[in-house]
Amino acid sequence: MSSQNKWAPDDDRIEEEEDEEDLSKYQNQKDAVLFAIHVSSSMLSVPENDADDMDIGSKRKSKKKENQSAVRMALECSNSILQSRIISSPNDMMGILLFGTDKTKAAPGIGGSGGFSHCYSLMELDVPDADGIKQLKALLEDEESYNDILVPSSEQVSMANVLFCANQIFTIKCPNFASRKLFIITDDDDPHATDKALKNSAITRARDLYDLGVIIDPFYISYPGKPGFDPSKFYDDIVYRSPYDDDNDMDPNTSALSGAQRLKEMRTTMLSKSTPKRALFSTKLEIAPGLTIGVKGYLMFKKQEKSRSHYVYTGGEKAQIVEGTTIQLAEYTAQVVEKEEIKKAYKFGGEHIIFTDEEMKEMRRFGEPVIRILGFKPASSLPFDHNVKPASFIYPDEQDFVGSTRTFTALHNKLYNDDKIAIAWAVTRKNAPPVLVALLSSLHDPSEPLPMPSGFFMVQLPFADDIRKNPDVTYNPAPKDLVDAMREIVKQLHIATGYQIEKYENPSLQWHYRILQALALDEDLPDTPIDKTLPKYRLIDKHTGDKVRRWADVFEKYASGMRVKAVKEVKGKRMADIEGGRGSSKKGPAVSGDEAVIQAYRSGTMNKLTVAALKEYLASNGLTATGKKQQLIDATEEFLDAKGF
Amino acid sequence: MADKSATVYIVDVGRTMGQHHSGRSQSDLDFAMQYVWDKITTTISNGRKTDTVGVIGFRTDYTNNALQADDAYSNISVFKELGQFLMPHVRECTEHLQPSETNRGDGISALVVGIQLIKTFCRHLKYRKSIYLITDGRGSFDTDGLDQIVAQLKSETISLTILGVDFDDAEYGFKEEDKPANKAKTEAVLHQLAEDCSGVFATIAEAIDELVRPRVKEVRPVASYKGTLTLGDPEKFDTAMSIDIERYPRTMLAKPVSASRYVVGPTEGGGVDESMRIDGQGLQAVKQARVYQVPDESAPGGKKDIDKDDMEKGYKYGRTIVPISKIDENVTVYETKPGMEIVGFTEARKYKRFFHMSNTNVIVPQKLNDQAAIALSSLIHTLAEYESYAIVRFVKKANEAPVMIALAPNLEPDFECLIDVQLPFIEDFRPYKFPPLNTVRTVTGKTLSEHRFIPTDDMNVLMSAYVDSMDLSDPSSDGDDFITTEDTFSPILHRVNQIIRYRATHPDSPLPPVPDILMKYSHPPPELIGKSQPHIDALIKACDVKRVTPVLKSRRTREQPKPKSGLDIDELLGISSDQKVRIRISLSNAVAEYKQKISADDADEAVMKEAASEMFNHARELVKTSIADLNYGRARSLLAVVREEMGELEYYGVWNDEFRKLKKDVLGKKLDGDRSDWWEELKRFELGLLEGPREAGGVDWTDAKQFWNP
Repeated sequence: MSSQNKWAPDDDRIEEEEDEEDLSKYQNQKDAVLFAIHVSSSMLSVPENDADDMDIGSKRKSKKKENQSAVRMALECSNSILQSRIISSPNDMMGILLFGTDKTKAAPGIGGSGGFSHCYSLMELDVPDADGIKQLKALLEDEESYNDILVPSSEQVSMANVLFCANQIFTIKCPNFASRKLFIITDDDDPHATDKALKNSAITRARDLYDLGVIIDPFYISYPGKPGFDPSKFYDDIVYRSPYDDDNDMDPNTSALSGAQRLKEMRTTMLSKSTPKRALFSTKLEIAPGLTIGVKGYLMFKKQEKSRSHYVYTGGEKAQIVEGTTIQLAEYTAQVVEKEEIKKAYKFGGEHIIFTDEEMKEMRRFGEPVIRILGFKPASSLPFDHNVKPASFIYPDEQDFVGSTRTFTALHNKLYNDDKIAIAWAVTRKNAPPVLVALLSSLHDPSEPLPMPSGFFMVQLPFADDIRKNPDVTYNPAPKDLVDAMREIVKQLHIATGYQIEKYENPSLQWHYRILQALALDEDLPDTPIDKTLPKYRLIDKHTGDKVRRWADVFEKYASGMRVKAVKEVKGKRMADIEGGRGSSKKGPAVSGDEAVIQAYRSGTMNKLTVAALKEYLASNGLTATGKKQQLIDATEEFLDAKGF
Repeated sequence: MADKSATVYIVDVGRTMGQHHSGRSQSDLDFAMQYVWDKITTTISNGRKTDTVGVIGFRTDYTNNALQADDAYSNISVFKELGQFLMPHVRECTEHLQPSETNRGDGISALVVGIQLIKTFCRHLKYRKSIYLITDGRGSFDTDGLDQIVAQLKSETISLTILGVDFDDAEYGFKEEDKPANKAKTEAVLHQLAEDCSGVFATIAEAIDELVRPRVKEVRPVASYKGTLTLGDPEKFDTAMSIDIERYPRTMLAKPVSASRYVVGPTEGGGVDESMRIDGQGLQAVKQARVYQVPDESAPGGKKDIDKDDMEKGYKYGRTIVPISKIDENVTVYETKPGMEIVGFTEARKYKRFFHMSNTNVIVPQKLNDQAAIALSSLIHTLAEYESYAIVRFVKKANEAPVMIALAPNLEPDFECLIDVQLPFIEDFRPYKFPPLNTVRTVTGKTLSEHRFIPTDDMNVLMSAYVDSMDLSDPSSDGDDFITTEDTFSPILHRVNQIIRYRATHPDSPLPPVPDILMKYSHPPPELIGKSQPHIDALIKACDVKRVTPVLKSRRTREQPKPKSGLDIDELLGISSDQKVRIRISLSNAVAEYKQKISADDADEAVMKEAASEMFNHARELVKTSIADLNYGRARSLLAVVREEMGELEYYGVWNDEFRKLKKDVLGKKLDGDRSDWWEELKRFELGLLEGPREAGGVDWTDAKQFWNP
């Protein structure tokens, strides 16, 4: 295989999966988030240590960043969200607009040359780039430029002006985006208390934003010891929430941050709000014949992969992304083929079985989209191994069926209380292949660090076709006293909280982006990866050391007479003594299919091995197992050469 | 890999096979051939050269076999010698396998010809050999020398299956009335023959019944990981434990065969050289070629072709391009060593089943390693006793990304293993928020416990009764669950297979219906529904779910939007509907003003027309003044909103009229030159004519499609 092939970027991977088409339509939608941060003297003031703070922080020494002004906190927060979203949704737009500043700065092309007074475009709404991030970082680190820009205006900024400025930014920069959000971060609950005309004008501009499809999400800052933020004075007149809107979950109490609350909390809330909730499908749930409600499905778990790699051309002034265009050619005449001319056919018996487009469609038709409940079972009857992909989440939707929520809830109550699951036949989208699913109820528990929503998780069940048969292994259950010894070990390493997602970051993904970020921002390359997935070796040794030794003693009692020594249970002096007494049984390769390959390698009779044996050997050693027999032999020999056999 | 196989089908095509019996509309031969074709086409679809098939007919009108010198072998014809079975053979055999004009020709002799065929073909090589004899038992079966035949079958290890049309079978529960005496005798002879050589003897109806059940393709287990399961770090601590294990898939989605892409014959205008190899059906495969370009204003067409050698690999960090040369590539890879390392253990009840991220695998001890077996077994049994799972960090190959997996104990009769499944990382979780169920919070922050979103006590009680009445695990009579995995088959996979195989043997027939067995679990079991009906009726009444009709839906969204406070903005500003419809839509705030204009109470068709025309003119202006494609997106967004609104309000004509005018302008190059790229963009985003009833100005699907043609 040529090296060129090996590192062809993902751009060249041509997808032929027709089923996935619909899905990608959903997923390719883009989002835009604009942070509008209110700059005023109160927003810029650094709060005194309050009682709350003393409580939490009294034991800690590092209090350098404990107290920050609301503006700085909002900027830190935006910066952190920026860096996090650049990973999770690299095509999304973000921008930062300051309002109430003394200075005015227009985003290019917006609001004419003068711009909107007291609106300062700190970061243009766009897909972020390294320069923008660097500038923002510089602002946060460099006192001088910070103090230069963040000067509050002496006159009251017109909220109508701010809203229309946002309107223009969204209209021009991202007219066709699926989701557009405006975060307003402010501590002023009544900006136009005395000027009714200005207030009305702001209300009108807010309505415009609503009609434009921009969602306003205000973030209220309040201070301990002072009256709380009262949204009813102004903000409830500019914020729209449809009763059918799933986003209707704003709790005015949680969004009112007291000065002592940490950046982290603000970041978490904002991050989750900046992720638009996008339905994967919208369909009917037939609970019983004649009882149908509407539901929407969401993908809450999805393996996050590294972003696509591209071909890059560096021959010009600036690095450019190379666009690859695929052309369809007829194999022998090498003529360009139009999409309409392409026919689908199945290879069969040396020929092609052709179907018309209509027949290709009919083949995949198994009835209208529906999730139809077939009946119920105890939750315990769902085997651990019956899984094929991440579960999706379903939640009621009143759009097409009024009464969906109450009916869904009644079902949820019953299944949750009785620990039951529903089994259903599911065609989630038009022409999607039918699958059988289990609906598992989940209940929101705010005491959990990462609470799951209330609703049903939908687990796709394997068909008989999807279940593989067991490999051939000798059945050799452990003697009772060996199990007893193991029990002592397992007891010691009990994780009381269960598996907590928030504790495990993907080390490979994090590393990839840390490097990318360093390269993009011209920073020094980090040298130590942070890997939270590694076991705590020292603790394991401390808690289980003695117990493992005891287990090893029991094990030796049974193992000595058994075939193949491949359990390297205990390393070190103590075991080495025992080992010495028993001679050679410890080391040496395991006798298995692998042995045959190694023997053939040694005796130069690789040709006698079967292709299947070679392939299995290569695959199990993590090598590419494709090609003709000679290629397989070459690859195997190369591997064994390297290993020094 | 599967063994090589040699299968010979011996089919009785005597005149009597053309008759109809037992009230079937098919002839006996057609009836029996269902089975044979199903078997053969299944073999074809495996696509293996080493699966060889031969076909012999007896009671044929003519004679064609290796032993024909002997009169005893007359009226026996070999239609297909042993070898891979391909489409041309399907057609040939279809032609031959028709009821003949004769009843002459001996069944047992045909069996000898079959054995001969296998012996000659397989010689001493290792094959899985089988013969299927299909007959109505109404012809001649000469029992002379039957012992020798049995001996041969045994010594050649050929398995014999005899399938008879309307043979009596007490077990299956079939008995033919008015059976001719000679047929009864033949049945007895064949039954004995099958028994003597440990073969199978059955009535063909039973075999056909079994075809209904899809066959699950067995995949030979291939290890996806061979290595160690460790507790602690064996390199640093002498108390680390390490067990040699292997990992095999337990579940893996079986995908239907995929279609390949072809183009019919030579493409248009191509003077094709006859010598070119185009497949017999006039199809040639479609290949893909990639062209690489970067934007370059000085190049013709604004793009410059790039040679593959001049390209580097790179990533995007936001808008910034980060080229990564081959050498740097290693920098971004997080180095890892393969292994399965236990992080800790947790109780099963604390695990959320929906954390399962992947297919599942079995973890078993290394093959032929009894020590590894007892070591692993001690862990399996401990986890089973404690009802716990192990949380494990797993790296499959060197430098592959680590994943977190859960290991659960699994004890089966004479088999034990751990089952692994991948767990989510924090990056894999999307923190979507949903309102809680059972409570509703008003905009003022008040929590309600009675609301139309909250079920009444009555609903909860009725739902409970319904769910209890629909218990699938409740054994009906035979003690089985209503649904067991072994009985569920992937509809798409078997449907595609069924259709391909059917079309191969019925090239001119329409597609067959979906087999019942694939649709079996598309509805609840009728016996359960019957029982639950009273509960269902009561539940439906209590829930009172109402379908929203499209009219209602549009009216619902037509209500004037109100902010959280419920403020009536029009009233606040004192704007009347009359004033609203007279607003002239400005370019800068077009979308909002358009929506406000058409949502006024006084908005009639004339207003709709005017508003649409204003929006189209703004879009035209944007395109006209657009440097390259700078304003295209914005212009498109104006049209998109008009199309959406007009579609919803059923003013199809308003949109369609404007859109037709726009097409003329684009084609007439009236928007400052050639703007066909913008037109393409509109097409790509499906902003074409609105389909709908003609009286409302709508067009039908074909017109809408054709409209895109210049």
